[in-house]
Amino acid sequence: MNRKYELVYVVSPEASDEQVTDLHTQVEATVQRMNGQIEKTENWGRRKLAYEIGRHKEGTYVLEVINGTGDLMKEIDRRLKVIDLVIRHLVVRVDEEQGVVDRTKARRSETSRRRRVARGLPPDRQPGEGQRGDVDDDRDDRFDMGEELR
Amino acid sequence: MNGRKSFGGGGGRGKSTTGAQGKDGQRRPMFRRRKVCKFCSDKIDDINYKDVRMLMPFVPERAKVLPRRISGTCALHQRKLRTAIMRARQLALIPYTTE
Repeated sequence: MNRKYELVYVVSPEASDEQVTDLHTQVEATVQRMNGQIEKTENWGRRKLAYEIGRHKEGTYVLEVINGTGDLMKEIDRRLKVIDLVIRHLVVRVDEEQGVVDRTKARRSETSRRRRVARGLPPDRQPGEGQRGDVDDDRDDRFDMGEELR
Repeated sequence: MNGRKSFGGGGGRGKSTTGAQGKDGQRRPMFRRRKVCKFCSDKIDDINYKDVRMLMPFVPERAKVLPRRISGTCALHQRKLRTAIMRARQLALIPYTTE
């Protein structure tokens, strides 16, 4: 049974760009061999680690969204554990959570539409309506982190 | 008469008031703003471990998870927040602790 997983791995800062891409091809090969697909790959680039791992203070983060079976993820997990270049990795199953999120979103927009119609308004929010709509996303500092942790 | 007058405890919903003793012994009600769950009010369904910017306000200096009693997060979202923080910690996106 195919499920959706997210795999994030942290590559040692000493690794060259070729080694990072090489690692990606290795993962890809494993995925393809076991009849999975890679849906998305994201390289977050080099980031500072929140704490030292081994003696490393930085790491290159790579995110892969994979469709596949549990056995496939087990195999990837096992392989990544063996590779010394990967200093940390995490596999998370996301399909169920995503389904819940989508359903909540759908339900919410549906109720809002129904209520708006009941109030005699057009079902969708008009541009420039409400106080929240005109807040620029970039200026939104509600989730800004503290300086010392930046 | 609706019997909604409350003394001290038993605030329940709505603005909670706590009696504070003034300097001259006068009873002055102290108003505290009712805390609301940030995720409910902002309609954020997906608390993701990858979004460090979003998680950071919930891990103050000592990098501990901010308790519900302070942040006002609802139980459901606090639970999701906790898993997200734990995952982010594993990937060294958020510290476990600070010296």
